[in-house]
Amino acid sequence: MAYPTNPIYKLVKNPFSDKEESVKIVDADSNTKFVPFDEANTDYQEYLEWVAEGNTAEAAD
Amino acid sequence: MSEIKVNSIKGVGASAAAITVNNTDGTCTANITNNLSNRNLIINGAMQVAQRGTSNTAGGDGYFTVDRMYYYNAGIDNDVTKAQADIASGTTPYSLGFRKSFKLTNGNQSGGAASGDEILIRQNIEAQDIANSGWNYTSSSSFITLQYWIKSSVSQNFYVNLMSIDGTQQNYVTETGTLTADTWTKVTKTIPGNSNLQFDNNNQKGMFIQWNVFRGTSATGTRPLNAWAAYSGSSRVPDMTSTWYTTNDATFEITGVQLEVGSVATDFEHRSFGQELLLCQRYYYQNTAHLYLCHYGSNSINNMFHPVQMRTTPTVSETTTSGNLTSISQITNLSCYYYKASSAGAAGTGIKAEAEL
Repeated sequence: MAYPTNPIYKLVKNPFSDKEESVKIVDADSNTKFVPFDEANTDYQEYLEWVAEGNTAEAAD
Repeated sequence: MSEIKVNSIKGVGASAAAITVNNTDGTCTANITNNLSNRNLIINGAMQVAQRGTSNTAGGDGYFTVDRMYYYNAGIDNDVTKAQADIASGTTPYSLGFRKSFKLTNGNQSGGAASGDEILIRQNIEAQDIANSGWNYTSSSSFITLQYWIKSSVSQNFYVNLMSIDGTQQNYVTETGTLTADTWTKVTKTIPGNSNLQFDNNNQKGMFIQWNVFRGTSATGTRPLNAWAAYSGSSRVPDMTSTWYTTNDATFEITGVQLEVGSVATDFEHRSFGQELLLCQRYYYQNTAHLYLCHYGSNSINNMFHPVQMRTTPTVSETTTSGNLTSISQITNLSCYYYKASSAGAAGTGIKAEAEL
């Protein structure tokens, strides 16, 4: 799967706990997707591969 | 009153018994082939459910139309149309109760068949569904049986492979035989277990069935047919003809996909649309209805429950590109919260949740 080049991932905080629990990405079809930190989630697996390549997500608001 | 004492009943020309009678406990085992239920390990095998839409020409790979049917391509020059298609009345699949197929329509691959070019469709199966199926998969005398209907506008042979994921990946390659152009053909394959197979009891990908519409020579080579062998990325299937791939607007359709434990292909297990939809929603659902958020202090929230427990915590997104939501939070495989950092009220959007393999 080709990653969007811009924008990339952005960390998202849970507004109730204020903890980072997901990342946000805008995909090639302009959908805003919220990817939870769950290792069985294939989108999260792709995010981890992206991080392993040396990339860093934008900080959460 | 009379009593017949036998230990098996066999057809005159059959090689195996239709009914085997236990000589001591009064039970029997029968090879019944019709009206059986809960046998099909494939979800949406009749291609009835297409939550994402019925036709898509987008590039890239993923799930586009028919639920649970994954599409992959590489190196193509022109995008392929993925569609849920109608099966024509008067055909044999139609008379057997099949109304929909998963259909690919080729683009114009003007550059010809390069070594890295690929067009594939597959269904991924959870490991636990194989582990708990009753198939004694490490035994070569225990079987699963795959059946499907296939139609191609181009007369050629296609390879269909099963691939196990856990442990050392194992690959089992079958072939359709040369298909008659534009004619539905039923293919049945009985597949033995193997001591190298491993299926963990979890919700991860355990096996997939893959229709190789085309593979370039980078991924093809010497590969045994109808036998389990360790996966090799450079010889996933034998070399393929490129006839379909290099034919503009060529079509490829499948339906009636069933994978079941046992050495006999039983009649396809027709499930209702509602049953099939719920099975699909373990992996994906969308709700395009507008959601209205409730005030929560200076913010707005809404709790959304998924229709079924999903395979794992899903990726969730808006069904529109409005960007109204600040976040979707506290996502679990059962529910999630919509959140907007404003008390202004309605967000006016829907949800898509994806937990595909």
